[in-house]
Amino acid sequence: MFYSLRHITRFRYSAPVHESVMELRMQPRSEGPQTLRSFQITTNPRAQLYAYTDYLGNAVYHFNVLRAHEELRIEAQAVVEMAAIPVLPETVDALEWSRYNPYNLSDIHFDLLEPSKFARLSRPLAEFMAQRGIEKPAGDALSALKALNRTIYDAFDYQIGVTEVHSPIEQALAARRGVCQDFAHIMIAVARAWGIPARYVSGYLNSRRRAGARERSGEDATHAWIEAYLPSLGWLGFDPTNDILAGDRHIRAAVGRDYADVPPTRGTFKGLAESELAISVAVEPTQAPVRHEEFLRIARPMKPRTPSDLALDRLHHQQQQQQQQQQ
Amino acid sequence: MQQGALADDQATPMPRPDGAYANYALGAPYDEMFARDGTVREHYAALAERLATLPPEELYRRQQACELSFLHQGITFTVYSDAQATERIIPTDLLPRIVTAAEWARIERGLKQRIGALNLFLRDVYGDARVLRDGIVPRSMIYGSRHYRREMRELSVPHGAYVNVCGSDLVRNEAGDFVVLEDNLRVPSGVSYMLANRDVVRRAFPAVFRRMGVRAIEHYPRELLTTLRSLAPFHEDVSIAVLTPGVFNSAYFEHAFLARQMGVELVEGRDLLVNDNVVYTRTTSGLKRIDVIYRRIDDDFIDPLIFREDSSLGVPGLFNAYRAGNVMIANALGTGIADDKALYAYVPRLIRYYLAEEPVLNNVETFLCREEKSLSHVLANLDTLVVKAVGESGGYGMLVGPHASRAERDEFAQKIRADPENYIAQPTIQLSTAPTFVDGVVEPRHVDLRPFILQGEETVIVPGALTRVALKRGSLVVNSSQGGGSKDTWVLAG
Repeated sequence: MFYSLRHITRFRYSAPVHESVMELRMQPRSEGPQTLRSFQITTNPRAQLYAYTDYLGNAVYHFNVLRAHEELRIEAQAVVEMAAIPVLPETVDALEWSRYNPYNLSDIHFDLLEPSKFARLSRPLAEFMAQRGIEKPAGDALSALKALNRTIYDAFDYQIGVTEVHSPIEQALAARRGVCQDFAHIMIAVARAWGIPARYVSGYLNSRRRAGARERSGEDATHAWIEAYLPSLGWLGFDPTNDILAGDRHIRAAVGRDYADVPPTRGTFKGLAESELAISVAVEPTQAPVRHEEFLRIARPMKPRTPSDLALDRLHHQQQQQQQQQQ
Repeated sequence: MQQGALADDQATPMPRPDGAYANYALGAPYDEMFARDGTVREHYAALAERLATLPPEELYRRQQACELSFLHQGITFTVYSDAQATERIIPTDLLPRIVTAAEWARIERGLKQRIGALNLFLRDVYGDARVLRDGIVPRSMIYGSRHYRREMRELSVPHGAYVNVCGSDLVRNEAGDFVVLEDNLRVPSGVSYMLANRDVVRRAFPAVFRRMGVRAIEHYPRELLTTLRSLAPFHEDVSIAVLTPGVFNSAYFEHAFLARQMGVELVEGRDLLVNDNVVYTRTTSGLKRIDVIYRRIDDDFIDPLIFREDSSLGVPGLFNAYRAGNVMIANALGTGIADDKALYAYVPRLIRYYLAEEPVLNNVETFLCREEKSLSHVLANLDTLVVKAVGESGGYGMLVGPHASRAERDEFAQKIRADPENYIAQPTIQLSTAPTFVDGVVEPRHVDLRPFILQGEETVIVPGALTRVALKRGSLVVNSSQGGGSKDTWVLAG
């Protein structure tokens, strides 16, 4: 099965800025059942692109724009081929726990047992775990992870706007609502506390309607889920936002310890200006025509702001929506 | 002797040589000038003779001249915790600290060995991580440390030298042996004081200085420049800059001083920019490419694109230019993982592991609070131990047990219990004392020794050091951020 992917990121600045420097982590990975068939990035203003592979195997692109600009637009296009995901056994044996040893784990796995910026045990998380009866399982690790996936799905409402990209999990824990990023961080922190190496996956979901409601993904089809390492099965993807295992509709772009390692864009600029980010993502099976009107468009802030900024942002947001509908 | 001072500070034999040494009380600590029996050590004889001929008024006058010279040169240091927040002159002491040729030879050998092992360790933890797999260092100590820079994984650095400038703190224990107290592998400072002290003290004692055969240190800036040049992939026309956080940094004087001495540019982050993965400095005649950066900014702040995004001190895109090999940075990023106070305890093991040698310079015995047995020992003996927070430097976040009140100790015990991995403890070492001119008389004060090791294509140690001195009687805290002073250090030729 093939997917075509179009990911447009647009920064608009309230005044001209200069010396923008950006890093991008949006190239789908090519490994396992997923193969990258084509990929290209274009920027406006145009810039020379440079690339490297980070220590986790993610493709990272970077570029800079020296001269003054009021808008920066990045468009990534990819075609990804997805083979069938191998069928998993229902359970693993209880010996799996004893396989977490230096013979089966590499340094990368050990690194992914340590707490990271967004995925760490805290008192609110411990309270949540106690309340929901989440304990390190004695028996089957795979079933325990599936149960954890469901527990998080059940415990939280999916709601945009309660948390933002830099929110610690405590915010979602307190509100019992949040988005895929929050749920992934919570699940990673618990899995690591159990002694299971876990990592964050940033990617895209080709969502489906299920029981009348659309599957939940990032506000814009960018999505986040987790992978946990089972020595006898390898890395397994869990999507606590949708209570499913990651399958052939989950397109992986980058993996990291948590969101902080793999934001799709990270950048700085010089100049006194508010910046506003708009994203539009489309993931379609290539057989189907790409329907542009289905792009979801959202705005989200680059940095924490004051209430008056928020008001300004709403205004920007509205203007932007209008402009985009006129396109 | 002050109330509450250390028991072993209380005078046993009290030689009272005449004149200037009337108050010179010898105690348990090793004294640099006087042997236990009160006789002057041989290598101090020439200085002692000269001092005997100078009346206190004259010493006082010369001390004043030294201080004035520092003030005029603007040699200052900013003390952060001071409510008045301010630049101070680092008090320099008139009386030099003298190190014999034999002592120096051992120090030099020991430091080269140590920095060799530490560089191999850094290459390993950012490479194959053999040291972790072989169980020499616990993994959680590396992967759990905020100083471990994953961005450095699989990157290679010129000559395998991660630490191009190192300032190791040595102290001399009661037995008279030099031991390593701390390795400073990030952005060690103080070398400008080493040079400035020499400048004023040699003028205070010109004849003695000549007669004793003191080894020169004035070529340090040249050696530093050679080290930095050797990092560039080509050796001609290398463009170098010293990157400073700015005038409010405590060591700004030193940044400016070194740049001037080397004849290279002093820049702040905002003076640099990265275009097409190459670093440039803005000049009046346009952009000029920079090949090597001697950075005096911490990892966290050096590139807001990769590290702390709220940093306004750094240069966005610098790390990617570095990764691509388009600019060299000294010291390399991520060296903090090797001078962590907890890792310190493992350095002797690292020397054996990488070099198959016994350490020439020993460590101070160190208790890791992360180990349960050590933790209970530390908590039970807080009154005799020095406790340090693992991630801190400059004397912040530490408890000197014997000098702390019961309340301070109790408070610290709570902190340790709450976060044992963050603390280590060491026995209070009786740092050696050296004669120091205080308030018109010569008294013993505790000192340490910070030599500077340069490593690029070659490893070079200029025969000198910054001797820091705790100016408060009985105090063991020599850090300039905690009100310490410094001394010129004379390494003898033989």
